[in-house]
Amino acid sequence: MSTARSLPRALLVAGALLLLSIGLAVWLLRGAGRVDAPPARPGGGTLTATVRSEPRSFNRLVAIDRTSALVAQLTHARLVRVNLATHEVEPYLAERWTRDDDGLTWVLELAREARFSDGTPCTADDVVFSARAALDPRVKSPLAPALTIGGEPLVVESRGAHTVVVRFPSPYGPGLRLLDALPILPRHRLEAALEAGTLREAWSVTTPPAELAGLGPFVLEEYRAGEHLVFARNPHYFRKDERGQALPYLDRLVLTVVPSQDAEILRLEAGETDLVTDMVRAEDLARVRRLAAAGQLALHDLGVALDSDFLVFNLGPGAPRSGPRAWLTRRELRHAVSMAVDRQRFVDTVFLGAAVPVGGPVTPANRRWFDPSVPVPAYDPERAAALLSGVGLRDRDGDGWLEQPDGRPARFTLVTQKGNTVRERGAVVVQEALAAVGLGVDVVTLEQPAVIDRLMKGQYDAIHFGSLASDTDPASHLDYWLSRGAFHPWHPGQASPATEWEARIDALMARQVATVDPVARREIFFEVQGIFAEQLPAIYFAAPRVHVAMSARVGGARPAVLNPMVLWNAERLSVR
Amino acid sequence: MTHDLIPFLVRRALFALVLVVVVSSGALVLARLAPGDFVTEQVGQGADLATLAAERARLGLDRPVAASWAEWIGAAARLDFGVSFRYGRPVAGLVAERTGNTLLLAVAALGAATAIGLPLGVFAARRPRTAAAALVRAASFAALSVPPLVLALLLAWLAARTGWLPTGGMGRAAAADAGLAGRAFDLARHLVLPALALALPVGATLERLATRALAGALAEPCVAAARARGLDEGRLAWRHALRLAAAPVVAVYGLVAGGLLSGSFAVEVVTAWPGLGRLFYEALVARDVPLVAGCAAASAALVALATLAADAAAAWADPRVAQGGAA
Repeated sequence: MSTARSLPRALLVAGALLLLSIGLAVWLLRGAGRVDAPPARPGGGTLTATVRSEPRSFNRLVAIDRTSALVAQLTHARLVRVNLATHEVEPYLAERWTRDDDGLTWVLELAREARFSDGTPCTADDVVFSARAALDPRVKSPLAPALTIGGEPLVVESRGAHTVVVRFPSPYGPGLRLLDALPILPRHRLEAALEAGTLREAWSVTTPPAELAGLGPFVLEEYRAGEHLVFARNPHYFRKDERGQALPYLDRLVLTVVPSQDAEILRLEAGETDLVTDMVRAEDLARVRRLAAAGQLALHDLGVALDSDFLVFNLGPGAPRSGPRAWLTRRELRHAVSMAVDRQRFVDTVFLGAAVPVGGPVTPANRRWFDPSVPVPAYDPERAAALLSGVGLRDRDGDGWLEQPDGRPARFTLVTQKGNTVRERGAVVVQEALAAVGLGVDVVTLEQPAVIDRLMKGQYDAIHFGSLASDTDPASHLDYWLSRGAFHPWHPGQASPATEWEARIDALMARQVATVDPVARREIFFEVQGIFAEQLPAIYFAAPRVHVAMSARVGGARPAVLNPMVLWNAERLSVR
Repeated sequence: MTHDLIPFLVRRALFALVLVVVVSSGALVLARLAPGDFVTEQVGQGADLATLAAERARLGLDRPVAASWAEWIGAAARLDFGVSFRYGRPVAGLVAERTGNTLLLAVAALGAATAIGLPLGVFAARRPRTAAAALVRAASFAALSVPPLVLALLLAWLAARTGWLPTGGMGRAAAADAGLAGRAFDLARHLVLPALALALPVGATLERLATRALAGALAEPCVAAARARGLDEGRLAWRHALRLAAAPVVAVYGLVAGGLLSGSFAVEVVTAWPGLGRLFYEALVARDVPLVAGCAAASAALVALATLAADAAAAWADPRVAQGGAA
């Protein structure tokens, strides 16, 4: 009987415990989910971020610097955008699209509720106007090359108030991806300037914010030169989240201009900024990790970067193609340098461990385009020495250093960028590695414009430098791959390919860009990477791991390895 | 005295004008001759060689340096300093707004340096062989040997760790809603760190100079006579000896102003103070030729004006200075 009486009590206690456990689990899960979930209602609040420099213009058509591009991302919409987390094209102003049977014509349907920040409805005419403005020769927009295919511009036409037709002059593999570059501007505000030929001067940084209008999630509220930019939420922003909640979540976003990276980290530590717009440097990582462990910051490891620094030998007109220093242009030398450098030591010394060894310009982070069959060259100083001997560099006087065939010391000058600690350390590691095989290197550090000047004019033996990836698709880096490209670093701006292998890469890249089938494009690009690894015109050693730090109160962040790393989805950021 | 002072000041003003022209012209020519130009930053961003060449032509970078200089100096004579490549704005406006910020910082730093350096100098001169004077001397040597850049970083680190002061900037964006008094307070808080970074080495210079000058003045017969009349030691030092020691101290203010400007380059970058030094640095890095020349002209003008003011003060304090200058 007592058992019968105690049974309901036991069940009651068990039920209560179960309910308590479920409640506790729900509460805990809510707490865990809170890290990245958007707030249940528009969160409001102000988020502060730092930028390294001031915007040069509020007119995106004429300014390509990072801060101007960021301002444009916050204040203007594009027809489509590349999701920096997935690298896929996704709808923006254009909600959906179809491609005609010819493969060249795209029909895009615009969001009907889209309005500019001044309340004016956005129509297809605004899209047509924006393309016309970007391609107008009087504007001389640096965005124009991104809207041309094989030298021919896109044709953008309206078909009704909310339908846009985009015609490609020839087949284009990346498809609508290139429309991510085009900000949609208000025709009613800027058409007069375009007609008068003064659009280049319009919307400078002295233009009162009230005169600007855009379709982006934020509107510029205040700009104090040298200090900060304050953005308020655009009350007419047309996008909503999955729950139908208006975007953006933030009331305000402040970009503070902090030119020094050291000062940026101090501001983050002091709680004066919520995030910095650049990756955390290797030398700051230990400190930031401590702050993250203390709960003060959130540190995101985004994996390997899409770009890495490289070493090029001059293969342009200024290179010594004959005579005693002709060895500087030999393929064997480049392979010897690649083998003489211990990439793991490079990772440990230059990036303090926060990097991975790489062998080419496409890093493993670029999952779609990285060819895993291209091996990372192994550290092999003996083989390197043999290759150097093969090009006539031998220790002829027994002093431990190699000499040229004419008996003079085998040395070259390695130019790198002053003030860039990664490049300076990298040059020293290369210098030490080559000294170990008897090859002398004199490191010279110059300011960035001087390094680029030498690169363009071919006034150097070797340069240790780098570039910043703007997209994962190789079609967006044709200036690097094509022999006529301005940033074909070992021999820029060739009238016609100087070598047979560059001609092959040119032809393959032209085919790759014009091929629509993604699998075929991938195969072609793998072939390009194979030729590159064989010829090794640029030597890559390591790609850094990208870490982004932000205040623990920031929610909704989806940091990406491409710029702007965190603010690319500013509309979904929130603060607690 | 006025009779000697006016021609002296006119000569110094003419010299200042020549200095401004020479410095700004030199800056323009060097910025043009330095390897790399403003357009090189577009390399690697998708621009082709034809686009780069067109951009160079648009900015006049394809013209000979002498022609660029001649055009610039002609326009500068009409106070037109050209348009910044980087910002697309008239250089004069850009430089004027940043010069105001640098002047505010320099005046605050000079005030702080005077407030720190002079009393310590008087103190050390009056008690030359005490442990306290040795401590002041050691502190001065330490402050003199640390460059303003390192000092700024150190102070910013301290501010970040303690939270006592903002680590940089000229004000919070939120201060715009705080009213005039709130904005002034916010500005004052942001001013402390960069002003201190600049003021400490200058204060140390003033302390060293004041200590020596005052030690000499305290040994003057007139001061000994005043002491014999039973004058209080403090009053003797502050009222009488300091006036005798003023000439070398005042004269150094002109040089100190130059030092503040050069020091402000690094301090403004580290503490994100939107001043002339930071603008100049950014213009140099970007090879923004008109802005480099404009910043150089403004910097030279500021140094020349400070020197002129110091010379005038020294001539006023000691008329022999103006006469010597006339000789």
